[in-house]
Amino acid sequence: MKNINGESFEIRLEDDNATVVFKGALRLSGTEDYAPILDMLKTTMVDSDTPIVLDLRELNFLNSSGITMLSRFVIEARDRTGIKVQILASEAVPWHARSLKNLQRLMPSLSICLS
Amino acid sequence: MTTSQSPVSSPEGHECEYLTLAFSPSSAPLRSRWRNNGLSADFLGDYVTTFLPTEGDVGLLASRQKEIKHAVSYLANELLENAMKYHQRDVSIPIRIHLELTSHDITVSVSNGISVSQAQIYQAFVAHLSDGNAEELLLKQQEENAMHGEAHVSALGLLTMISDYDAQLNWRFEAHPAHRESMIVTTFAVLALNAVTGASA
Repeated sequence: MKNINGESFEIRLEDDNATVVFKGALRLSGTEDYAPILDMLKTTMVDSDTPIVLDLRELNFLNSSGITMLSRFVIEARDRTGIKVQILASEAVPWHARSLKNLQRLMPSLSICLS
Repeated sequence: MTTSQSPVSSPEGHECEYLTLAFSPSSAPLRSRWRNNGLSADFLGDYVTTFLPTEGDVGLLASRQKEIKHAVSYLANELLENAMKYHQRDVSIPIRIHLELTSHDITVSVSNGISVSQAQIYQAFVAHLSDGNAEELLLKQQEENAMHGEAHVSALGLLTMISDYDAQLNWRFEAHPAHRESMIVTTFAVLALNAVTGASA
């Protein structure tokens, strides 16, 4: 398991190396600050048989720089053959219904599970 | 930081509520000030909920409040982040964020100092935005950004405000009263309350 923690957020890569769990509010200031998180996400892109799961259900806030970081990840996943990505989202978190649809437009095979 | 708040009458005679926060960027480094963007944005989001309707279906009201609170917080945070990044530090004017609430809409506006050359780049972006579809521009810029890096990140913030939050954006560019090489730019984001959730203040 690997973690990246900040004052208002916690990100955890599970032992399966395919599930990343986000919690809290992410408001980092730009590409450079988001780079370690993007690097962590990219480590999941090794096995096309195992879908990558981004669990965002407890990520209550993400700024546009964070949305850009997720966009970069799904664009890279889309451009690699056979990589599957699933996002776990929540109806109780307002930004999910508003912004995640754009990720699906960037990567049409992206699965979003809204619960 | 300074604050002011007051109920006033708008030019149309409708009462409105407003709140202004002002920051002097030179009083703390950008990195240590950054966390205050989120604190201020969340405060503004919380603040507006006081003025939203309290009668009706409890579950529906709670859901509307949550949506509006989040939308205000998102818009305020993005506008503050942009202002903090692009504010011209050698001119002695504060960054101001202003929240105004009427029965029809909520306006969040942020003003900051900017060099004349930076203002011209920004004005060109504004013109480009008015010619295109924000949703398409957002996707196009996400693709470009994935290839080339951070060049358009602040534009992406503005585009998400239009595309994902149905915010109406407007801008005002003014000459700086004391510095010929500087301007003051104010970015306005307006949320129509009935368009957001069917709620009204």
